[in-house]
Amino acid sequence: MRTNVKLFTILGVFFVIVATIYGVWVQWSEWAGIPALYALGGLGLMIAIYLYLTDRRFGLGADDREDGDIAEYAGTYGRFAPWSWWPLGLGISCAGLVLGLAVGWWIFFVGVGLGLYFVVGWVFEYSKGDHAH
Amino acid sequence: MVWLSSELMFFGGLFAMYFTLRSTSPELWAENTATLNVPLAFVNTLILVASSFTAQAGVFAAERLQPHRTGGLFSLKRWGMVEWFILTFIMGAIFVSVQAYEYAVLVSHGVTIDASAYGSAFYITTGFHALHVTGGLIAFLFIIGRAYLAKRFGHHEATSAIVVSYYWHFVDVVWIALFAIVYFLK
Repeated sequence: MRTNVKLFTILGVFFVIVATIYGVWVQWSEWAGIPALYALGGLGLMIAIYLYLTDRRFGLGADDREDGDIAEYAGTYGRFAPWSWWPLGLGISCAGLVLGLAVGWWIFFVGVGLGLYFVVGWVFEYSKGDHAH
Repeated sequence: MVWLSSELMFFGGLFAMYFTLRSTSPELWAENTATLNVPLAFVNTLILVASSFTAQAGVFAAERLQPHRTGGLFSLKRWGMVEWFILTFIMGAIFVSVQAYEYAVLVSHGVTIDASAYGSAFYITTGFHALHVTGGLIAFLFIIGRAYLAKRFGHHEATSAIVVSYYWHFVDVVWIALFAIVYFLK
């Protein structure tokens, strides 16, 4: 994790410096590139800070050692439902939304209703029903 | 977190649009920013910033795996995640409502999205932010719902609460930048 922190810090600081150089170069007159470059700097630093906080909480990992193996990070990465229809339904609702924009508003609102149903279903998947814990 | 970074780039694009339009038509800006209600927006900003702190207090409660309060309604130290998140939700809702009121006043002054480049820049930047706040409010409702449905409040509920709080802080920081640019820098 330490290495990742360094990499993203370097990226972030680099883009902040580049954005400043760019700004001076164009005499702070071109306002499309300057915010975009600063945002790139923020993008790197934001991930760096998050990784730094995670690193402080979990300490050194296998990726900080010279002799670390990829296999050392094997294990459980998350909880997944054995089966779930909610994402499929949500996908269909999104398709309905876009179709509604192209064809007619009434389809859009059908998509909104379906989408609400499936989002709620997905969020509470582990709270109610078959996979409740 | 990576997704939040991509969101940062999205807002970066919006900022770029705002600044570009501003530098090409300064007279529109001078004319239209006079209609902004800065004190109201400032109070609104304070409410949103405070809601970030209440959200964080809710996260601390979630990390203690404590969904509900154990003491009276006014003993803040014993509040659980649900109480803090409901308070956050109310503050966020106030923020969006006040912004809707602000839009209404501005429209009555003739500042609409298709009136001028300023209107477009103002409504698209603040409007997308308001949509994000609304999304965050819905997410808070889901988290509160999960806490009520859970028979035993565990790490599944706590983790989702933490994730939503990250998003909320992000939206908050973006608003501080937006507020500084739209209302102070003009």
